[in-house]
Amino acid sequence: MQIGLTGFASLGWPGLLKLRAENALKPASERTAVIMVWLPGGLSHIDSYDPKPEIGSEYRGPFKTISTKVPGTIFTELLPRHAAIADKFTLLRSMNQKAGGHPAGSMQMLSGDADERDKPKPRLPDWMSVANYLRAQDGPRANPLPNYVGVNPPLEYNGPAYLGNAWSPFSVTDDPNRPNFAVPNIGLTDPAETRRLGDRVALRKNLDRLERAFDRENELLALDEFERQAMTLLTNPQTRDAFDIGKEDAKTRDRYGRNRWGQQLLLARRLVEAGVDIVTSSLSGPLCGRVNNWDDHAVNHHIFEALRFRMGNYDQAVTALIEDIYARGLDKRVLVVVTGEFGRTPKISFDRSTGAGDASAPAGTVQPGRDHWPRAFSNIWAGGGLQTGGVIGATDKRGEDVIERPCGPGDFLATIYHHLGIDSSKVTINDFNGRPTPIVDQGKPIPELIA
Amino acid sequence: MRRLPPPSLPALCVLLALPISLTAADSRPLSFVNDVVPILTKAGCNSGACHAKAVIGQRGFRLSLLGFEPQEDYEHIVKEARGRRVFPPAPEQSLLLLKGANQVPHGGGEKLTPGSENYQTLVRWIGQGMPYQAAGQPALAGLEVEPKRLAMKMGTTQSLRVTARYDNGTTRDVTHLALYEANAPEMAEVGESGQVKTKDLPGNVAVMVRYGGKVSVFSISIPLGAPVDKLPPAKNFIDELVFANLKAIGVPPSAPCDDATFLRRASLDIAGRLPTLEETQAFLASNAPDKREQAIETLLASPDYADAFANKWTALLKNKREDAADITANFAFHSWVRDGMLANKPYDEMVRQILAATGTIVANPAVAWYKRVKEPNAQLEDVAQLFLGVRMQCAQCHHHPFERWSQDDYYSMAAFFSQVGRKPTAIAGEDLIFHKRGVAQIENKRTRAMVKPAGLGQGAQEIAPDDDPRLRLADWMADTSNPFFAKALVNRYWKHFFKRGLVEPEDDLRDTNPPTNPELLDALAAHFVQSGFDLKELVRTLTRSQTYQLSSVPNEHNLVDVQNFSRFYPKRMQAEVLLDALDSFAGSKSEFADLPPGTRAIALPDNSYNSASLFLKVFGRPESASVCECERAQSSSLAQSLHLMNSAEVKGKIAVAGGRADRLSKPGVTAEAAVEELYLAAFSRQPDAEERRIATAHLASPDARKQAFEDLVWALLNTKEFLYNH
Repeated sequence: MQIGLTGFASLGWPGLLKLRAENALKPASERTAVIMVWLPGGLSHIDSYDPKPEIGSEYRGPFKTISTKVPGTIFTELLPRHAAIADKFTLLRSMNQKAGGHPAGSMQMLSGDADERDKPKPRLPDWMSVANYLRAQDGPRANPLPNYVGVNPPLEYNGPAYLGNAWSPFSVTDDPNRPNFAVPNIGLTDPAETRRLGDRVALRKNLDRLERAFDRENELLALDEFERQAMTLLTNPQTRDAFDIGKEDAKTRDRYGRNRWGQQLLLARRLVEAGVDIVTSSLSGPLCGRVNNWDDHAVNHHIFEALRFRMGNYDQAVTALIEDIYARGLDKRVLVVVTGEFGRTPKISFDRSTGAGDASAPAGTVQPGRDHWPRAFSNIWAGGGLQTGGVIGATDKRGEDVIERPCGPGDFLATIYHHLGIDSSKVTINDFNGRPTPIVDQGKPIPELIA
Repeated sequence: MRRLPPPSLPALCVLLALPISLTAADSRPLSFVNDVVPILTKAGCNSGACHAKAVIGQRGFRLSLLGFEPQEDYEHIVKEARGRRVFPPAPEQSLLLLKGANQVPHGGGEKLTPGSENYQTLVRWIGQGMPYQAAGQPALAGLEVEPKRLAMKMGTTQSLRVTARYDNGTTRDVTHLALYEANAPEMAEVGESGQVKTKDLPGNVAVMVRYGGKVSVFSISIPLGAPVDKLPPAKNFIDELVFANLKAIGVPPSAPCDDATFLRRASLDIAGRLPTLEETQAFLASNAPDKREQAIETLLASPDYADAFANKWTALLKNKREDAADITANFAFHSWVRDGMLANKPYDEMVRQILAATGTIVANPAVAWYKRVKEPNAQLEDVAQLFLGVRMQCAQCHHHPFERWSQDDYYSMAAFFSQVGRKPTAIAGEDLIFHKRGVAQIENKRTRAMVKPAGLGQGAQEIAPDDDPRLRLADWMADTSNPFFAKALVNRYWKHFFKRGLVEPEDDLRDTNPPTNPELLDALAAHFVQSGFDLKELVRTLTRSQTYQLSSVPNEHNLVDVQNFSRFYPKRMQAEVLLDALDSFAGSKSEFADLPPGTRAIALPDNSYNSASLFLKVFGRPESASVCECERAQSSSLAQSLHLMNSAEVKGKIAVAGGRADRLSKPGVTAEAAVEELYLAAFSRQPDAEERRIATAHLASPDARKQAFEDLVWALLNTKEFLYNH
């Protein structure tokens, strides 16, 4: 199958050859994978992974700190399960970027676009689409599952941009915790329907006469290949199984948490285990509180109530994923990274609520909040063959600025690409104007976060 | 006619016998400009991914892209970082060389081999005290590649020889320092030192050769060498030029297509829709010798033509809904473009009205373009790419790497837009656009000098403060001698009908990316200019040609042809066209917000409908964000297959009450008649005996009759014959 290369987007030729050569050496079973857990709106770093117990109450917040399995590293009390397995991931406290708005902040982190201004659509493709596209250049996939699946993926401020929709995720947007959860367009459950689709495809093949006019660019062949993949997705028990979270035993499901987030991350693990290379999952919706995301301005949420409301599920789901990755021996192949687009202002602000709801007092009530803070925030990294248990970087005494090992979006992206076997310093992709655009403009894999 | 010298040994001998001057004699005084920069360029040091990365360079060491700003590079190498990059007492200990040779850790690895000629040149240059350019040293005046044109068989090689010509008359062999790039790497590849190797595709390919900011081209014609003895009759000049090329490269064309294929093809390309059942039946039954010409005229005169081309142009002109309030402006602009298509407004007039638009959206909808494209930079870039086929974006920040365009050229074009005035109006978000009195000029951001307006390759214009410079731009563009305007349009339209431009990408016309059939592009452009920029006449000329009417079914030789138009290349229907085709075949309707029921997807005024229609999104309807047609995704994808095979939307259309499957399954329609109707509706042709047999057998299956019909509709719309215009 030769898709993509003949079109508007093409790899720099040397980059492509190198990539092919490198990937050709690896058997499919060793193809590395990434699960990115996305916290849309931005987690307050000072209330979670980067507490500042010494600072005044106008910054500190109400949460006590707890010690963790890694001596010298403390979290807030909202993360007891993280504390218990702190040796199984690496905490990066020195992430920072330059954009204060959700769109531009998300674009900085996901696509490396340095533009600080918000714009409605991304200019550059996100790393997931890029990785999906680059992986597809290796040749046809033996595995019936798609390369890139979004389990309630972030879709708002990211996307494939000039790569085109073909490189978007196969998306699951339903709640996997729902009792009769099933992925639409996957695994027809009714045998009669499966048979009928099979009959229809057979009839189609009998009647299709354009086969003879195969063009040299194999466009029609690609179409056949996609029909075959679609048919597999629709009818192959293996793909149905991969999405069938009901096949997990009850204990495992309990361990992740019987809620949307827990089951999303369980499904993510199930998918990488079945051979999906790129999985993103956004922890959003009612489990966040009134406004369905992590954007804890005082007008939206009482931030501390919001964190109490949501962090139990978060703590449980993320740590279950990390432990499970290790327990199942996926820790070399699969990199898990958890981040939002920025942190939140260390200094607490007060404002009137704009409405009552989960974690928000009735409209007009003054409540505490924190605003956008791209200057310093945390993300966590697990699996990926990493030496875990460390902390990289540090922020100042108020958690306002990075004072040690500053890392930016380019470093973030280069680290993920590195795990996927993509040398981001060498690969460029042509944009709409035919300009070769580097997939990472500035930045290098973070040495402690590469195996 | 294409005339290429046959590859011949005598020519090569002549080449080898050329005197080689300016070889590396140790005593020759070196210059940074002539000797050092080319080495850095060849080694890739100043590529965009390395030290010429925008603004920051790499690890604090910054070079200009491809060495276009040698003075800056000299500063950075010799003076910056306290001069530690060069060390004349022991040149080999210079950081420049230690890094380049990877003797101290270098992110880019080994780019210079110690002891190599290039390495030694750098050593000597540092040893000579890093001269920049002594007075009297020659400046590069031109670049010549030899041979210039050659017919090369498939799978053969040819060495190029590249000579730099200096202003003092001397020359230098720079074959090993030049950069090479083929415009169709699937047809030919070029090694580091100018070794060209052809692959197994016939046709024309160009190798761009670059050195010291100069470019040159080596054109290759790769013949297939098959006998071309039977040519269909030529219908117009297009055929004469296409067939001449096919003869020259020995690729026999496919036979002309049958009537059914022609009608379907022309209806989809001209009117963006399938022929109706009635049109098909009448056309197939007609014995008129000129029925194809008649069909073309009917399609051109129909409002569907205006819908189809308004759809194409409004996307490129960025008729984009960013806010709910944009609806008025977007509907107005779409209608304005559509009306122009309907009335066959001359193309130069349409462009002039857009470029020089003044007033309000209500009084003059053409001002909508200025709402989407706000800054002079964006205005010139869009105008250059969309109307002139020239991509100027690169030249904003640096000399265009493949082109003769400098930053002065860029800002001179921008200066035409320096006097665009805006005033808010009573309608939120809509500005009044007017000509702001004053001298048109704009600052070149690098030199800080003010530049006056100038067309590409033209001298600066003095424009009186009362004159709107945009009118001067329109004058220059529409001048019959403009080398870009007509060519860019005919190439864009050629691609619309023939899938591939004579120049690819269709909006990247430059000397280093020549057309595959230059004579044809010239002739089409001349015809377009002569016709008074008549768009319908252009469509008429293209679709009347025998070339357009060739079958897509390859013969025993021409399957390998991907750029000489020896057969019709099948194209997947565009998102809008496919959705409409599906509705017309299934007998269903799509509904769109704020538009009357029955509005077809091709008639949608802007991009806002994409978000509500998964179909349009999945099949790649553009968001009107770019002037490039490439924004429209034409590649197939898994999501598309899933959507066609099993989405509730498509299943619903097939099964809709009163739809074709439903209607045909009612008593009173024979299976034979039903199958015939399905084939006419889907493919504009009668089923053959085998198809009748398979289809009627399926309808006779024990399944419920309506279900059997739905199966058949499903199967037919999932065929490539349906999804493709072929």
